[in-house]
Amino acid sequence: MAESNSLTDAEIMLKIAGYDSKALEQLYDRYAPFLYTLIKKIVIDKETSEEILSDVFVIIWRQIDQFDFKTNNIYTWLVTLARNKAIDVLNRRGGKMLPDYNDEYEKEHIIPKLSKEVETLELEEVLNRKEKMEKALSSLTDAQRYVLELSYYGGMDQEEIANKLKIPTVTVKSKLQVAIGNLMQKLSEAK
Amino acid sequence: MDKKKCLELIKLEVLGCLNETDTESLKIMKEKNDDFPWMELSDYQNLVALIPSALEMKYPASELKDKTAMKLYNIRDEIKAKIDAKKALEIPSLPVEEQLESEEKFVIEEKVEVEEKVFAEAEEGFHINTDEPLTPGKDESFRIVSNFKEKNESKNLTSETHGNTDVSVSKTAPEKDVIEKITRDYINTQMESEIDLLNQSIKKNKILSFIFFLITLILIGALYFIK
Repeated sequence: MAESNSLTDAEIMLKIAGYDSKALEQLYDRYAPFLYTLIKKIVIDKETSEEILSDVFVIIWRQIDQFDFKTNNIYTWLVTLARNKAIDVLNRRGGKMLPDYNDEYEKEHIIPKLSKEVETLELEEVLNRKEKMEKALSSLTDAQRYVLELSYYGGMDQEEIANKLKIPTVTVKSKLQVAIGNLMQKLSEAK
Repeated sequence: MDKKKCLELIKLEVLGCLNETDTESLKIMKEKNDDFPWMELSDYQNLVALIPSALEMKYPASELKDKTAMKLYNIRDEIKAKIDAKKALEIPSLPVEEQLESEEKFVIEEKVEVEEKVFAEAEEGFHINTDEPLTPGKDESFRIVSNFKEKNESKNLTSETHGNTDVSVSKTAPEKDVIEKITRDYINTQMESEIDLLNQSIKKNKILSFIFFLITLILIGALYFIK
């Protein structure tokens, strides 16, 4: 176990690509709390969150060939995958009309499509930057933070946010763009 | 102008907030624009993935690992098919006659290889069972999956020994034999260790009784001499 603990995320993913179940277990031990935290923030309910987390690892196992080993951006891939899955469940339970959930749908809407050029992130590095992210988020205006949360954790699109806040879609669009732009700027300054 | 438009759409795309029209525009930009800002896309994808790092960490139930292992076990056939397809792709193309012969060989060799692997993994699994303490819900479940048998099989076999004949046998003969062997070994190992524990506690009790007997004798002797 000590040996596998020293494996990098990239080494673990390579082993998973060879269907090494111990490597998947290792990935679970490393990422489950972080992904669970995100999923629970989205769906709130504990049991549903656990169900989704479990499904996320099944997806990783089944769709590992969809992971881009050239860019190797494991952290972002896993977080985006978990978010996509949680938002999908949230939308389906909320009665949103969505296509049937099948393999094709999963590949198209749940599996992340990350950029071809990438600066990879590591979980440890991310956890060390927790305070900086908190500061960057708190530096946004309340309105910016609110639309960002509605979009990121609430899975709402522009129209849904506009309806909820009773403001024009164009305003939502610009608020989101400014919020994400500011967040990027604040985080870069904090580096 | 194009880059500015791209960046605006990228900011919304990473949040999953694009409407259908914008999604289509961005798709076209990615496909046709040689100067598409891939690095900026990556920066924004990483940025939104960092947002949950500000949350207070929560932990899933420890049993969830077992449940996940069970789900993985249930899709083993699909995974096996994927492994087979992968293997088939790795085989270099041969003339048709040679290929037919090699296909037969491949099937036999693969069967032997899989069976050997199962035994090897099973032994490894039992090594863990006997030498390391079992922690429910921790570490063990995924190993059980890798040994491609699960608690279900043990349960089936246990109920078989209790006279219940309703055991699902949908597996091939060699696989079933292996599963039975492994489960029997597992039960034996568990029983042996329990018998050992019982024997040890009996020994301890005997020694203690003997010591108490001696102390009583000494006390009686001492009382007799005092009187």
